[in-house]
Amino acid sequence: MTMKKKNDILSRLFGKEHRPQENKHNQPADADSGKSSDAGKGGGTGSVPGSDSGASGEAHYSDHNHNIAPDHTEDKYPRNGKDGKPEVDLSSGKYTKVWQGPNHPGVTGNMSLELTICGDEIVDAKTHVGYLHRGFEKLFERRLYMQVMPTCLRMCVPESDTNEYVFSEAVEELSGIEAPEKAKWLRMLVLEMSRLQMLLRVVPGQGGAFGLGIGVQWGMYVRELILDLFEELTGGRIYHMYMLPGGVRGDLPEGFRERAIKTMDEVYRFAQRIDDVMFNNSVFKKRATGTGYIDPSWVDRFGIVGPNARAAGYNRDVRKDHPYLLYDQLEWEVPVLEKSDVYTRARIRWMDMQVTADLIKQILNKIPEKGSFKAPTPNALNWRIPRGETYVKAEASRGEFGYYVVSDGSAYPRRITLRGPSYTHAIALLEKMLIRTNIADVGAIMVSLQTCPPEIER
Amino acid sequence: MHQFLKEIQNRFPIHDVKEQRKNLTLFTTEKEQVVPLLTHLRDHEGFTHFVLLTAVDWIEEDLFQLTYILNNPEKKVDLGIRAYIGRENASMESAHHLWEQVATYQRELKEMFGIDFPGSPRVDEEFFLEGWDDIPPMRREFDSKKYSEETYFPRPGSKSHDPGEYMKQKLYSDDYEEEE
Amino acid sequence: MSKLKDILSPFTAWNNLARDPVTIKDPINDRPGAARYRGFHQNDIEKCIGCGACESICETGAIRMVEVDEVETKEGDSGLRPEVDYGRCCFCALCVDICSTGSLTLSNEYIWVDEDPEAFTFVPGIDKKPWDNNQDGWKKPEPDYELNIKERVRMPEMQAEERENSFVEIVKGYSREQAIAEADRCIDCGLCQATCPAHMDIPDYIRAVREENLKEGFRIMYKTNPLPEVCGRICTHKCEDVCAMGHRGDPIAIRWLKRYIADSVDENEYQEALQQENPKDKDKSIAIVGAGPTGLSAAYYLALMGYSVKMFEAQPRAGGMMRYGIPEYRLPYNALDQDIDYILSLGVDIQYNTRVGKDITLDALHEKYDSVLVGTGLHAGKSTRIPGTDHEHVYQAVDLLREFSKGNEIPISEKIVIIGGGNVAMDITRTLARLQNQKYGQVNITTTSLETEDVMPADQEEIDEAREEKVNLKPGWGPQKIEIENNKIKGLHVQRCLSVFDENGRFNPQFDESQTDFFEGDMLIEAIGQGMDISYLSKSIRDGLDFTQRGRLVVNDYFQSKQEWLFIGGDIIQGPDVIHGIANGHKAARGIDMYLRGDLRYE
Ligand SMILES: Cc1cc2nc3c(=O)[nH]c(=O)nc-3n(C[C@H](O)[C@H](O)[C@H](O)COP(=O)(O)OP(=O)(O)OC[C@H]3O[C@@H](n4cnc5c(N)ncnc54)[C@H](O)[C@@H]3O)c2cc1C
Ligand code: SF4
Ligand code: SF4
Repeated sequence: MTMKKKNDILSRLFGKEHRPQENKHNQPADADSGKSSDAGKGGGTGSVPGSDSGASGEAHYSDHNHNIAPDHTEDKYPRNGKDGKPEVDLSSGKYTKVWQGPNHPGVTGNMSLELTICGDEIVDAKTHVGYLHRGFEKLFERRLYMQVMPTCLRMCVPESDTNEYVFSEAVEELSGIEAPEKAKWLRMLVLEMSRLQMLLRVVPGQGGAFGLGIGVQWGMYVRELILDLFEELTGGRIYHMYMLPGGVRGDLPEGFRERAIKTMDEVYRFAQRIDDVMFNNSVFKKRATGTGYIDPSWVDRFGIVGPNARAAGYNRDVRKDHPYLLYDQLEWEVPVLEKSDVYTRARIRWMDMQVTADLIKQILNKIPEKGSFKAPTPNALNWRIPRGETYVKAEASRGEFGYYVVSDGSAYPRRITLRGPSYTHAIALLEKMLIRTNIADVGAIMVSLQTCPPEIER
Repeated sequence: MHQFLKEIQNRFPIHDVKEQRKNLTLFTTEKEQVVPLLTHLRDHEGFTHFVLLTAVDWIEEDLFQLTYILNNPEKKVDLGIRAYIGRENASMESAHHLWEQVATYQRELKEMFGIDFPGSPRVDEEFFLEGWDDIPPMRREFDSKKYSEETYFPRPGSKSHDPGEYMKQKLYSDDYEEEE
Repeated sequence: MSKLKDILSPFTAWNNLARDPVTIKDPINDRPGAARYRGFHQNDIEKCIGCGACESICETGAIRMVEVDEVETKEGDSGLRPEVDYGRCCFCALCVDICSTGSLTLSNEYIWVDEDPEAFTFVPGIDKKPWDNNQDGWKKPEPDYELNIKERVRMPEMQAEERENSFVEIVKGYSREQAIAEADRCIDCGLCQATCPAHMDIPDYIRAVREENLKEGFRIMYKTNPLPEVCGRICTHKCEDVCAMGHRGDPIAIRWLKRYIADSVDENEYQEALQQENPKDKDKSIAIVGAGPTGLSAAYYLALMGYSVKMFEAQPRAGGMMRYGIPEYRLPYNALDQDIDYILSLGVDIQYNTRVGKDITLDALHEKYDSVLVGTGLHAGKSTRIPGTDHEHVYQAVDLLREFSKGNEIPISEKIVIIGGGNVAMDITRTLARLQNQKYGQVNITTTSLETEDVMPADQEEIDEAREEKVNLKPGWGPQKIEIENNKIKGLHVQRCLSVFDENGRFNPQFDESQTDFFEGDMLIEAIGQGMDISYLSKSIRDGLDFTQRGRLVVNDYFQSKQEWLFIGGDIIQGPDVIHGIANGHKAARGIDMYLRGDLRYE
């Protein structure tokens, strides 16, 4: 593909907004990065539509640059203890503890935050999980490999397909089986559809977190259309159970291709409308711009992946960096922006959403007519996997999502563990990020990190 | 073999090297070497992205396997580092100072496997299992089935039959004699 | 400017007022599940065989195999049916994908609710539901989507050219990898066990192959069958006919797995593997007439019970038809001897070349022994009795096979015609083909049967292999007359056979006289069945026995005759095949034990 053509596609999608990024920040993390980063200051060339060069944003950035608990002396904030965490003297009467959660606010799932506030400002935050620990990794000990399939996908409820994929791929790799070509295309289709339905929730969800409910309903509607497609293709709407070791469980139904391509128009239309009501909304802009800043130097320090890293100028996408399935046969550019705040992360997801719709169309046009969609596999009731271990990852809507699978040679896995993006985004990172933010922004910051507790506690 | 592996081999005792895929190599090292090795890999070999830390219980050998997975975003390769520690009073040097999220992994391992990481922040705080009063549940000797049968109240349902056994009773119980 | 735009732009949302609503007006009725939707189960009860594969794969434990009044337990069908608990089911449909028969599907029904929580546990197909006839819903994807391997592991065999003039065993036996791969296909349902006449613990010994615990597998086999080397080669494998895997693919190669286990244990390891001895702690002794599978099996189990056993055999070696009937290329003598030697090593006494009724009377045995078992088999060849059968060059298949097995010279002419469509006919055909090859360097045999090929009783593989060995098979012809010229056989006149049995299932062949043929040959062999010779039953004994109206001997479940000291089994009573002989021998041994302890009466 020529560079020109590439840019055409991108500019069609995003106008001048898109700037292919060099891997600017891809150097080892600076272990001590309490200092301000250059990225905040004008490093972000990706401009926000309609905002004049983001001047107001920059002011915010400098405000938030000291987020990594600096050992300061200002009276308002508690001093940091030896472990770098603030020491709060509740008896002083200056601080209040409040719990946010664990009720399920929608996109961010059941987890709770133990917040210590001073006025409406957060001085300390602790993430609490455990409200939906289902013990999957323990349950796998007594599941046959094939039986893991319907269980494992529940580890991440809203985007279950990535589980199916990485698990199936890991089993195939360990047993030396390769899924047929058609299965690979169908898997990509489902993975992208899965990303799309997720983004249709999260993108408008960012507005929802600030009280802008209207886009959420629109997103839900388009998402339902995607779920209809899922239902047709896989027989399920939420838990698709479509990929299994060896391949997939069905070919494209009659007329699916055309219907799916048509549905993508709804996605583009939705993107336009959400652009109008959310991204070009002065209230949303005011709340989202500059809020929840992630210093680019934190990316490696906290293991930040996916849109959260890409909004901070890092061009990282497992589909490109470690091409799996047949992603290297698709043409697209990874959206990267630099301002690294709530607004930018929402914007990245908004771009992702359209890239995904575009990929779905490409895939639909490339799925071969003929060929089998599942490789022969041994009797599911006696399938022993040769001794070995592997780590298989894929790019979920939230970033690198992988399974580490260990086989002891029996028909039951010795160990399967999930590495989900939220494990660090919603704990180590969130706990740091929330300090000195306003309590009214907590929900929005969580949504902007796209935290997903089921993948934390499995 | 990747060039960096040769480098590492010159500095650290590593063995059981397995190139699982082009972009994933796993090897084993001594438990004392893990933290120096991780530091070296992060600071000199470009393995700046910490992917995960987990444990595997090899109860038959009385060992826990610890697996650290790192990623080099520049070279686009993953590295799995295994180390084995005894199951009894299992303890491992903490790597929380290298990446912020490591402490969380270590806290989980403490709770789920009973592996201690002295000095790791909040390592003793309850994580997933508030109010848990049994052994760390991810240890193989923890029998989840038994636990659930003792803790919960299964709804009584119909009896399930093994087809073979059932046919024996129905059709030829008389012909068949179990060996004493 | 742009600030103003940011205030105005959100108002575009008002545009929606002009759009049609996207909601579905009546979702309960207007929104059926998709064609692949995974809703509540359906089960075709007639098709389902109650194998329980669905229960085994179900990871939520939602399926229980339950008794239902509507279905009877019979061979090949456990009579159980899956009950689904929707408090557990996750609608993954793995149960559908693995279903052995394809009876189980999911409907596209997803709206159904009920106030009673118990209503959410039911037996699909038995408990009638409104969606039972829904066409839409999840079915196992077709084709080539399987959660198991449909084809059995191919058995390595000698090619036709190699075997044409050789009596070396054709089938080579599975390698370790092949055996494990075949054992892996087994779904462990146990349906086969009821059908095996000896009720061998098939799933258990297959599991032993899978887990490479072959000595254990060997012990499991001996519990019900002391002739595993034999059965692993030539068993009629009725079990495979009901194998759950056979419904949509090849049944498990149960026989070949048995052979794999038997072959894996060396002759000198038997004692170590089985750890058995004859305690000889009972003061009763038993005579067994005939050392075929029936007699040998009974001898084995009686010896283990501690009885003194004495066998009387008319031939110079033990084995019965296994030695004197079945050709060596199917059952080599060393395999047979391995089984027999072990049985005899348990202290079973045998007297060869002794024909009861001639060399010693049954009455004498009755006097000397506490109980007698006869398993003398069917050794008298039957004749078509068409004109010419009394010619000296018309032979009986079993006679030739016996003589050949004994190492005696048998007549082989250049052109042979054989009458018969069963396995015995194939055995004599293929034996003579080898001998013709050795003697004349070519095969010229015509084998003809009343039955057309699709209903010929011989196994298909026997038919195919005979063809490969260049035999001229002529199914569907009825022999009319042997053409004899100058006291020399010229050939066989045949007429087209239209049907073999009448409406009542009686043997009553119908011919089309207008369609005739003539098969040239200078020697003719009949292989149309064998009869029994029970002339050793003296009148006094015979008078004390029960016969059916058609003249068949009557015994009870333990093969005990009305003369309560006399037990009769094997081909004379049931079968005819080796495994029935083994099963009869085992059961009779237990019957004799009970009888001798005073626990068994004829009625
Ligand atoms: C050619 C041929 C091929 C066959 N192929 C197969 C096959 O592939 N698979 C299979 O399962 N079955 C096969 N059969 C059938 C099988 O061999 C018989 O069903 C089985 O051997 C019967 O066992 P039995 O114990 O009843 O009698 P037999 O095996 O017939 O044994 C009877 C024994 O009693 C002896 N005997 C008879 N009368 C007397 C007497 N008066 N005194 C002393 N001893 C006596 C005989 O010499 C013989 O040794 C075949 C049979 C034939 C003829
Ligand atoms: S659909 Fe899945 S969970 Fe439900 S009964 Fe079938 S196998 Fe079990
Ligand atoms: S797997 Fe199919 S045939 Fe077997 S019991 Fe279940 S429904 Fe019936």
